[in-house]
Amino acid sequence: MNWDEIFAAATPELYLAFAGLIAVVLGAVLRERFATVSIKAGALILLGACALSLFNIEGGVAFNGLWETDRFTNLAKAVCYFCAGVALLIAEPYLVKERLIRYEYALLVIFASLGMGITLSANDLMTLYLGIETLSLSSYVLAAFNRDSQRSSEAGLKYFVLGALASGLILYGSSLVYGFSGSTNYDAIAQAEFGIGLVFGLVLLITGLAFKVSAAPLHVWTPDVYEGAPTPVVAFFASAPKLASMVVFATILFEAFGNAIDQWQDVILIISGASMLIGAFGALRQTNLKRLFAYSSIGNMGYALIALAAGEDIGGPALLVYMVIYALSQLGIFGVLLSMRRRGGMVEDISELSGLSSTMPWLAVCMTALVFSVAGIPPLGGFFGKLVVFQAGVEAGLWPIVIIGVIASVVSLGYYLRIIMIMWGGDKLAPFENMSGTVGITVSAATILAFPVFTVVIGWMMSLAGGSFSLG
Amino acid sequence: MEQFLGWTENPILLVLLSLGQILLVTVVLLLAIAFLLYFDRKVLAGTMLRKGPNVVGPFGLFQSFADFGKFVLKEMIIPAGANKTVFMIAPILATTLSLICWAVVPIAPGWVVSDLNVGVLYLLAMSSLGVYGVIMAGWASNSKYPFLGGLRSAAQMVSYEVSIGFVLVTVILLSGSMNLTTIVESQTGGFWNWYAFKLPTIIVMFPMMVIFFISALAETNRPPFDLPEAESELVAGYQVEYSGTPFLLIYLGEQIAITLMCAMTSVLFLGGWHSPVGDLGLFDENTLAGLLGTGTFESLIGAFWFALKVTFVFFMFAFVRALVPRYRYDQLMRLGWKIFLPTSLVAVLLISGYVVYTSAAAA
Amino acid sequence: MEVIAFSILSAIVLIAAFCVIAARNPVHSVLFLILAFFTSSGLLVLIGAEFLAMLLIVVYVGAVAVLFLFVVMMLDVDFVELKQGFLNYAPFGGVVALVFFAEIALVASAMGASRPETFDASPNAETNVEAIGQVMYTDYLLLFQISGIVLLIAMIGAIVLTLRHRPGVRRQSVEEQTGRKRADAVELKDVRPGQGI
Repeated sequence: MNWDEIFAAATPELYLAFAGLIAVVLGAVLRERFATVSIKAGALILLGACALSLFNIEGGVAFNGLWETDRFTNLAKAVCYFCAGVALLIAEPYLVKERLIRYEYALLVIFASLGMGITLSANDLMTLYLGIETLSLSSYVLAAFNRDSQRSSEAGLKYFVLGALASGLILYGSSLVYGFSGSTNYDAIAQAEFGIGLVFGLVLLITGLAFKVSAAPLHVWTPDVYEGAPTPVVAFFASAPKLASMVVFATILFEAFGNAIDQWQDVILIISGASMLIGAFGALRQTNLKRLFAYSSIGNMGYALIALAAGEDIGGPALLVYMVIYALSQLGIFGVLLSMRRRGGMVEDISELSGLSSTMPWLAVCMTALVFSVAGIPPLGGFFGKLVVFQAGVEAGLWPIVIIGVIASVVSLGYYLRIIMIMWGGDKLAPFENMSGTVGITVSAATILAFPVFTVVIGWMMSLAGGSFSLG
Repeated sequence: MEQFLGWTENPILLVLLSLGQILLVTVVLLLAIAFLLYFDRKVLAGTMLRKGPNVVGPFGLFQSFADFGKFVLKEMIIPAGANKTVFMIAPILATTLSLICWAVVPIAPGWVVSDLNVGVLYLLAMSSLGVYGVIMAGWASNSKYPFLGGLRSAAQMVSYEVSIGFVLVTVILLSGSMNLTTIVESQTGGFWNWYAFKLPTIIVMFPMMVIFFISALAETNRPPFDLPEAESELVAGYQVEYSGTPFLLIYLGEQIAITLMCAMTSVLFLGGWHSPVGDLGLFDENTLAGLLGTGTFESLIGAFWFALKVTFVFFMFAFVRALVPRYRYDQLMRLGWKIFLPTSLVAVLLISGYVVYTSAAAA
Repeated sequence: MEVIAFSILSAIVLIAAFCVIAARNPVHSVLFLILAFFTSSGLLVLIGAEFLAMLLIVVYVGAVAVLFLFVVMMLDVDFVELKQGFLNYAPFGGVVALVFFAEIALVASAMGASRPETFDASPNAETNVEAIGQVMYTDYLLLFQISGIVLLIAMIGAIVLTLRHRPGVRRQSVEEQTGRKRADAVELKDVRPGQGI
């Protein structure tokens, strides 16, 4: 065991694992007294992990090549941990009001984040699979966290059954890849002779991973899970795991199958096009906001996949930038959804937003900015995300998919505009209950982040990520 | 039993020889069980100040054979609603599975049907299969009491297997092998070398033997853990619908499993075939050993000690049955999961620490 | 000899696996599944991986399948109802199955080139157990530890989803029960006849 190597490459994950285990013991000893504290402690732990991964940004190889981190993955990790921490913080008021506050919530979010860290650092199919399982198992339980609600249990069960199928596909694909390349290590797979066996292994892997990022045609679970699961859980699902899974999708394709880009590019393109169209047209008919944003996320995964299809050098940084902007704006949007509470409980219907501009103007302003950002309206962050992705697509010569992307963007403007029209034009309804401090701050911060003030930051990130990619 | 196999290379003869060995072990085992059953009843009767079986044969010694005859000659009733195939397979499975466990039990030096490298695991695997006989019998009877009995026993046996597994790990750690013959050989010498009494691990291993013994009671559905067949609630549990030969098979399977657990206790903790006072050097070429050949004679002596130890542990089984009232089901589960499991886990930790420490000190 | 054993065992595995999906009674399905597990462990013994074979039996047959059986026996599954849905999905499922079958056939045809000539179930060690132990706690320590965390999460999840502390339910406290003294429960009174207490 080379501890220097391990500390260089895996400090955030070691720290998260130990913190998580200590939290388990604390929870078992303190029980209910730990419940509210655990949320804040968990958020602190996650923010600490975020700082650690930024601190150790160069990364390294450890555990006999099972583990490899570089700037690209460390950057993704930092954002994931940050999003998970924020998602945990904004969950507290909801959990308290719905009487769901239990310390296991924080534990599961911490372990899910650990799973993201493991998948992001994986340099071996076995590490990848175990990381995905760590993330998925926690997610299944989180989706069903409100166990007394039938919809939440249903969401958990659906997610579990379909997720298990996807895990099975990943395992089957991995076994084929192992059988035909003789190794599970990414570097060794990259050097193996590319034959028909590897192609099928790769296709199965892509299928499983496409499920995890909820890309079409494996998107069917997303609306149901988003609708059924408790809103703070969805806020978490929509931000950090999406980002992590997408980046993992990219690392495995770039690092293990980088030479075979001709083989998988078409598959990714088809998935990407289908996701964008299904996301755009599927969302048009939705009245439930959570379902609507589920379809919106399917579409957004489609845009991210364009960057993936563009290949490592062009697409890598674009993918990261797009996903980071997306994840941060999702936190803001779900922050708004979390503050939609009237006497008697949460409301999720799109018509409940009616007249928000006069009852709670700041919330309406924030929501408008965030929705426009996700839609990709020029001065806002989301626009730059889409811009880099389309640029990457054009640079890689993938014209048709970029055109589909633009069409899908225009179609999706339809439902984004509907939200905004209802907010600013509809009849005035009773205002929501006062939202709590953390949620308000998160929403406001996400809104500010959505403005192009941060193009500088984005540019810095691109250079950082790009720097690592020319190395890796 | 490699010592008997050395003289031939002919595959057919080898197969015949193994078959002969298997037959020998089975017949001796069944005969032994006939008398152990008698012994069991006598012990129970003794504690209750009764006489026990005393009619068939001298002192009632042939009672088990009379029972055997009765079961075989009785009519075999299959309930109309039963799932016939499963109903008939269950007793066969129960007997076969407990019988094949004996394949790896070393009776004396070199006297073992199959000297597996993973003998301990094999035993664990086969005894964990034992639950199927019970659960299938309970389900196939298509009747409430047997079904409840079957479910109870499934939960009970799976629970106690966990702590049995951890206890086995401690022994495996100390002996450094999963081969039962090697485990016995590592306890060579007097009783102070047996794992149950060896210093300084006695602090951990003696309690482990007790845990193993109690878990074995639960694993074989013996009193005080005989909830699957608790007559006050479930009539006779999963055996309610069985009669005649199938019942005999189930009963026999249970008895074989019990003797197996006795044999396991003596092999793992009580030094197997070793005499409690160590090798006294009493036998040399001039005595009986010279006549029979040293190896064979040693084996005979070893088999004697082994049988004695098995009988002793069996006596404990019988005594517990006579003395301890039946547990309630939640108490049973609490004992298994909340007491035995953590205790044996801590023991694994302590023993592995000890093994690492001693091997580091030796190196 | 080995070829004969292999043929018999693998034939049983295949037949049992087919019966798992073909059996009408779900309990029979599980029993066939157990048979398939058991026979596959026989196949593992044939290649010399006796440790894996035993683990397969201990874990899958001895524990997992028992719980399967447990659940299937307790649930009253109505198979007529399940079969009705089957016909609706049969054409689509059939197409997927065909595609998948064709894929596997293609992959199998490509297999010849990369098949290793010899197989060693216990490289660099005397027994299978040692061989596995040597890599599991050194090269693959990371994976071993992560698996532990995955299991921990599964445990936490099971507790989150099922454990309930309902207020107002009387519970047993073992400490209280065993700590009870005779003096706490029984009081001796000297009752005189005709007077009462």
